[in-house]
Amino acid sequence: MRYLYKALTVAGSYRAQRVMGIATLAGLAATIAIGLFVVPPDATQGEVQRLMYVHVPVAWVTFLAFGVVFLASVAYLITKRIQWDRVAAASAEIGVGACALTIVLGSLWGRPVWGTWWTWDPRLTTTAVLLLIYVGYLSLRMVADSPARRAKWSAVVGVIGFIDVPIVHESVVWWRSLHQQATVLRLGPPTIAGSMLATLLLAFLSFSVAYGYLMAVRLRIGRLEDRSAAPVSSPTPRARRPRPVGIATSVDIPTSADIATSAGTDLHA
Amino acid sequence: MHDVGYVAAGYAITMATLAGYRWHLAARTRRARRYVSAVTRHPLGGRRPK
Repeated sequence: MRYLYKALTVAGSYRAQRVMGIATLAGLAATIAIGLFVVPPDATQGEVQRLMYVHVPVAWVTFLAFGVVFLASVAYLITKRIQWDRVAAASAEIGVGACALTIVLGSLWGRPVWGTWWTWDPRLTTTAVLLLIYVGYLSLRMVADSPARRAKWSAVVGVIGFIDVPIVHESVVWWRSLHQQATVLRLGPPTIAGSMLATLLLAFLSFSVAYGYLMAVRLRIGRLEDRSAAPVSSPTPRARRPRPVGIATSVDIPTSADIATSAGTDLHA
Repeated sequence: MHDVGYVAAGYAITMATLAGYRWHLAARTRRARRYVSAVTRHPLGGRRPK
């Protein structure tokens, strides 16, 4: 675990970020050029099949990002080190964006092929549920009032929420679905042409590097934001902080006991 | 012909999303660095003066 975080820190250095940024740009440019102009169109679907070179890698990044959230959440629950919470938060943010993009790209592909933008197909529905779970994860992070509590709650959701990832992947096998079955991530050899597979693997690599790059930048922000919040946050619970006597401030919210005391009533009576 | 439109839209949305998120991260980095610099009274760039 310690070595993994060290590797992430090295990846977060300015020089590594620069290299990853250039690699991301080059990889994406190559994916677009080859995916749009070099690989032949599909015999059945025609030109619209070219959406596969962005839709499938973005879906892969979604799984990768939520997998990292799961691992970082487990690491946080074991070690209680806030760095793991930072990794989980960064990855969840990227994963939510990738999941939403997967749905949009799938919808663009589904309209000409299936004749509809959206249908309550098992793969689509479980993916929408996955998006909602991690939107909930990010919302939870906003409402928790202390860093330790936020980290603990989100780690639990990060572990439980990951259950939906294998369900999304296997949904086309377990239930009758409009969506095509797995062509690459399956037992046995891939079921697509060699040139298409090579382009798809290039796209997988490019989008994975893009994920690594965005993670490195987002982790740096997480460190900066935690540093800026450090003097404000306190390990003592909010209710036990000393209150200024006789001064009412906008953040000084009275408790029910305070109200009862000021009204001259005793709650325990 | 319509199919090409869907493909172009898909690639454009993907690249715009990536670029938009990167731009958002850059703005967030600037804001966080400015805040840390103001709180710690260290110059921007994160390095302490010699």
